[in-house]
Amino acid sequence: MKIVIVGAGISGLFTAYSLAKMGVRDVVVLEKRYVGYGSTGRCATGIRASFTSEEHIVLMKESIRLWKEYSEGELGRYGLNFVQGGYVWLARKEETVDTFRKLVALHNSLGVPTRVIDRDELRSLVPPLNTNLVAGAMHDPMAGKSYVFTTLRALMKACRELGVRIATGTEVRKLIARGSRIVAAETSKGEVSGDIFVIAAGAGSRELLKTVGIEIPTKNIPRHILTTEPYQRAFEPLVIDWDTPGVPYIVQIIEGNFFIGRDIEEEPEQSIYSQRIDFMPKALKPIAELFPFIKAVRVLRYWIGYYVATPDNHPIYGPVNNFDNLFIATGFSGHGYMMGPVTGKIIAEWILEGRPSIPQAEKLTLDRFERGALVRELAVIG
Amino acid sequence: MGGEMKKKGHPTIVCRCNDVTLEDVERAIEEGCHDLECLRKVLRIGMGPCQGRTCIPIVARILARKLGKRVDELELPTVRAPILPVPVHLLLKSREGEQP
Repeated sequence: MKIVIVGAGISGLFTAYSLAKMGVRDVVVLEKRYVGYGSTGRCATGIRASFTSEEHIVLMKESIRLWKEYSEGELGRYGLNFVQGGYVWLARKEETVDTFRKLVALHNSLGVPTRVIDRDELRSLVPPLNTNLVAGAMHDPMAGKSYVFTTLRALMKACRELGVRIATGTEVRKLIARGSRIVAAETSKGEVSGDIFVIAAGAGSRELLKTVGIEIPTKNIPRHILTTEPYQRAFEPLVIDWDTPGVPYIVQIIEGNFFIGRDIEEEPEQSIYSQRIDFMPKALKPIAELFPFIKAVRVLRYWIGYYVATPDNHPIYGPVNNFDNLFIATGFSGHGYMMGPVTGKIIAEWILEGRPSIPQAEKLTLDRFERGALVRELAVIG
Repeated sequence: MGGEMKKKGHPTIVCRCNDVTLEDVERAIEEGCHDLECLRKVLRIGMGPCQGRTCIPIVARILARKLGKRVDELELPTVRAPILPVPVHLLLKSREGEQP
């Protein structure tokens, strides 16, 4: 059996890795540019299970379990490193602390150990924070981070050792269908045939699937992020400024750089090469209020990546009704990197065993949009 | 990353920001990194304060030699703002940031 995966980002590579681990000998990953070119290589590297839908929480709890397991195993020896540094959401307003209490009750009921913490505990978790601006905070100790390029390198190495072929610089231009089967991918370097096809092409998935008449309701929304130079360790959690519009955040990645981001108004489909210099001061201003030391830090670089967003902000997983041998893993709405390990596992199970071991994943197939069975958030807050 | 000593003498550093050695680069190419973007991301070459101005031309020559290509046949990594490292306090003075 030959399995062809389109996209060498986190979803495609973890799918290839899981398939190879489950014994598939013939796996090919086709990549338009280079490993991690798309949204994976542009992400903020955060990993958490503290969401507000059962689907996200169950999938992400398993993903975090796998991040840990992989960190301690073969992928860990090749450089994959999950650091459970936690997430901290800051409330600048008193009433936001009440919102956090409601969220904590929901998370706890689904097995995610978030807590509301006071300023003293906050100071010990995030020493350089100016807590005078903060009324309270929510802490997720289960969350963490993993540096994206060491993860990708580990996956490349492990996949190649297991016999997976990764063809970079190979753009899939269209899929070729015969009846209810996909028979080949037409690439910039010729046709690639296969028995099973997995589309994990992130922002490119929508146009590619159109070539066989499949419409997916994703929008590619540009998101901006900057990095500073690397510094000595200052704090481990990813810190989110909940009460400031655009929800700014800061995280010190494992390599020592501070990644800082904030939502600014953006048109979907705008090029990821159309830089907005105003992003830098807009993101830095609230962060500099909270972390005065950051004013002396130097900004190195700024880039844009797409959130491939679906109407309910949950991924599109699994088989497609009208085809027997086509599987999708896209539309992660900003959470594809953290979901990588569980994505690989469930897509591989779907292909080899007919269904995923996590039943909630079956609620995330493409046909949910036709059936009107969108994922329900258990708490819509803020 | 890097910093391994050869049996004789010191390792050859090709990226001074992140201490990446010639051996690191050659090993990454052998592992399948056949373009500068891949080397940049796997080794963090060009991601330090020099933003690649020191190391990318050196790495490009190593890669071209290994692949049997000319340096001008290689695709160069993306150049990103603000080009030179800029302290946050200067960026905060930008009038662009006045509107939330």
